[in-house]
Amino acid sequence: MSTRPPVVRVEDLNVWFDLPGGSELHAVQGVTFELRSGERMGLVGESGCGKTTTILAMMGLLPATASVSGKVFLDGQDILYGGEETISPHRWSDISMVFQGAMNAFNPVKTVGAQIAEPMVLHGMATGRSARSRVAELLELVGIAGDRADRYPHEFSGGMRQRAAIAMALACSPKVLLADEPTTALDVMVQAQILELLVGLSKTLGEELGLTVILVTHDLPVVAQVCDRAAVMYAGEIVEMGGMSDIYHDPRHPYSRMLFSATPDLLGDDEVISIPGAPPRLDREIVGCAFRPRCDSAFEPCSTVRPGRSEPVAGHEARCHLNDPSLTELAS
Amino acid sequence: MSLIEPVQAADEDGLAQGILKTSRPGFLRTTLLGNRPAMIGLFILTFFVLVAIFAPWLEPYDPTEKVGPVYAPPSSEFWLGTDDGGGDMLSLLIAGSRVSLGVGFVAALVAILIGGTVGVLSGYFGGKTDTVLMRFTDYMLVIPDIPLMIIVAALFGRSLTNIVLIIGVIYWTSTARLIRAQVKSVRERVYVKRAQALGAGNRRLIFKHVLPQVAPLLIANTVLMIALAIFAETFITFLGLGDPSTISWGRLIENAFEGEATINNAWWAIVPPGVCVTIVILACTMIGQSVEDGLNPRLRVGHLSVKRFRVRPGAGSEAAK
Amino acid sequence: MRGADYVVKRVAFALLTVFIAITLNFVLFRALSGDAVSALRCRQCSAAFKEAQRRELGLDKSKWEQYKLYVADLARFDLGNSVPSEKPVRGELVEPIKNSLPMIALGTLFAIVFGTLVGVISAWRRGTAVDKGGLYTALSFYSMPTQWLGLMLIFFVASAVGLPSSGIKTPTLGLFTDASMWELFVDRMKHMILPALTLGLVLYGDYALIVRSAMLETLGEDYVLTARAKGLKNWAIVRSHGLRNAMLPIITLVALSLGFIIGGSITVEYVFSYPGLGLLTVEAIDKRDFPLLQAIFLLLTLSVIFFNLLADLLYFTFDPRVTA
Repeated sequence: MSTRPPVVRVEDLNVWFDLPGGSELHAVQGVTFELRSGERMGLVGESGCGKTTTILAMMGLLPATASVSGKVFLDGQDILYGGEETISPHRWSDISMVFQGAMNAFNPVKTVGAQIAEPMVLHGMATGRSARSRVAELLELVGIAGDRADRYPHEFSGGMRQRAAIAMALACSPKVLLADEPTTALDVMVQAQILELLVGLSKTLGEELGLTVILVTHDLPVVAQVCDRAAVMYAGEIVEMGGMSDIYHDPRHPYSRMLFSATPDLLGDDEVISIPGAPPRLDREIVGCAFRPRCDSAFEPCSTVRPGRSEPVAGHEARCHLNDPSLTELAS
Repeated sequence: MSLIEPVQAADEDGLAQGILKTSRPGFLRTTLLGNRPAMIGLFILTFFVLVAIFAPWLEPYDPTEKVGPVYAPPSSEFWLGTDDGGGDMLSLLIAGSRVSLGVGFVAALVAILIGGTVGVLSGYFGGKTDTVLMRFTDYMLVIPDIPLMIIVAALFGRSLTNIVLIIGVIYWTSTARLIRAQVKSVRERVYVKRAQALGAGNRRLIFKHVLPQVAPLLIANTVLMIALAIFAETFITFLGLGDPSTISWGRLIENAFEGEATINNAWWAIVPPGVCVTIVILACTMIGQSVEDGLNPRLRVGHLSVKRFRVRPGAGSEAAK
Repeated sequence: MRGADYVVKRVAFALLTVFIAITLNFVLFRALSGDAVSALRCRQCSAAFKEAQRRELGLDKSKWEQYKLYVADLARFDLGNSVPSEKPVRGELVEPIKNSLPMIALGTLFAIVFGTLVGVISAWRRGTAVDKGGLYTALSFYSMPTQWLGLMLIFFVASAVGLPSSGIKTPTLGLFTDASMWELFVDRMKHMILPALTLGLVLYGDYALIVRSAMLETLGEDYVLTARAKGLKNWAIVRSHGLRNAMLPIITLVALSLGFIIGGSITVEYVFSYPGLGLLTVEAIDKRDFPLLQAIFLLLTLSVIFFNLLADLLYFTFDPRVTA
């Protein structure tokens, strides 16, 4: 499996936002990962941890108040270095996205079909009749009758709109699909169908050509259901990353452990994970481990030394001092 | 507006959350303080309000008296010259600020009281109350306001009280619609429902929970309404329907026209009153608009910009460690 | 069909509004204000003469009878007679309307074209110097009293560029020599430019602000980000996703601003002595010619109702979501 080169590789990605008053918010801090074709990775974390920002940076869709550094390789070629100029040729044709709340991803005054066909025309994939037939094919692929292309978004149900958004993301046959909370606000049945669809898309084409999917969500069961790998983000960093079952059965960061054992708050807002405390503010320097104030197993070095990345098990990395035997021995 | 999540997460003032957090005591203050146009507007408006309050002490001459020659140009004696009756323009302007601002404030208050009441009742109770009140509002919205104002002013006679009432009674409709929509959405919030479930009465719910939420919008609307009312006063007065015994900026513009200031080359009689009206309306609009914009979460995100995000070469690798 | 239902509903609403406007018109003029004859400023008129006048106008009957009579007259397009001149009101309206329409149309067109242009550019270049310049220019014009802007233009612009500042026609033109159609047209245009510009500038401010904020709201929508992701360039997004959606609130607000246009044209015509409906209104106020004033008010209300209906129908063609 590891002989294939990665389709997408993100290397030391950082994103800052300018704040009014001249200060900065370091929203994404040194994110690094790589994925091969057909792999599905879940990017998990609380609201505000930088997961959405990470994929927006990969798409080059950050607002003007943002600045980035790092590299985003697609098939071994860095597309981030020139900003908008170098990303835009690849956007949607090689790497595309299903936006959060796809309810609003469609312009209400244009037909769904026209909006799916739009990128095909722009990227020279198809025009006119061939675009129309491809739109119908895509809709069929996601389980919508092809003749629905001439309908307006408001005539679709929430689940259908979400599928249509996936069809739109697939319009130019991308290699990588970024999905931001694709199932939030949908009922359980529809949610299951959409997830099945995503898995199917990356599997049907076989390992070599399969779609690479990055699923951004706060919903752990969804990740467990869909993904073969997971990356847990906290305060702008990936704190743990590895195979799905490795992380689930043998978490190497207290945050992941608490995430997996926490029950979702059924009564509260959709994104509340019931771990006491709040994430740190990212517009100030963080000393030591960012998770320390909420951590149940923090010890002395956590308040002074920022944990680096370590790989306690092959293919399973984490940023936690607990994985450093020299430190834990010293403390005990 | 979830797409630019980190900024919002860090937005401690809660502005990005829009109306949701407007009940926080600091909302209005932070909106106004953080906003340069609003601050400038507030400064200007305060200045004119102070002038209006202290008018009798500020006027260099008695504005009702003939104190100089007709249409005397500005001089050290008459800083802004004199009008067609030999009155001192500066004194007239200062005296006019009282009536103009007074009419503006009181008429706006009348409009907001009517519109706010209709809006709150309609949005809060919904159902039949809502249908009846909003139907009525819809019809009123279609009646052209300025002609109606003329007719009513022409029929009821020329007094300041009438003008205030006319403006107030005609301009409440847009407020009613705006407030109704807001109240409706506040009404659906979890904590209002919870308070109701706990047995809070209508009066308590409206005053304790609903009104504080719509207050910033109501205040923004009042300020915008002041501008409209001042505008309407100049209009009514210009058509000769104003109170003949009072001096207002509208009256000064009318005087310049009736007294043929253009032919007499007396720019000093034409320019200042209009500039005052324009500046005050501009100030009100800047304040009101800033608060309204602060309340509109959709305006806080722009997905289209000529500017792009920047790429920092090589930075960040140390920061990540 | 979603169309038929919607159109029927809107037309029904418009008709009901017309009826309410007619009633309001009656109530305001007859029930509240005494009557036209006692309002007539005529100290010499004898009581007997006034009584005769009242009978002639039907003012001696009960209010309800009067109302029925009024509605019946309206149905025959009989708007009554002007009190001072005793001529039918309907005839007095024709010429002023013919004069006003082109002037108002010219001013409104100016405002729509430039307001939209500046509003869109301002929103697109949000936060830049271009935006701030456009925004504050618009705000300033929006804040100016129409009559004052007219006076300013007369004082500072008219003589400087050699445009007439009052009337609708040079009195001497064609008096001694024959004037060609072209010369008459140019003369007419020259008289129209400044009033139209005054109205247009104030309206322009209003529209630019409306368009800017409608555009800004639209550009904050998620589908705009999607469009950018799909590879649309900025201008293409403005054109194919922004404008079309921003059109919806713009249509409504422009229709609602019609009352303002009418009000503005009244003072503009007064300032420029432009013999249109506005000047007629001022004269009617001056002479306390209530039947004439009543007819004008009805006419203006009906035109506002009509344009609101038009806006509703336009809205319908632009927004597929509208069903009823």
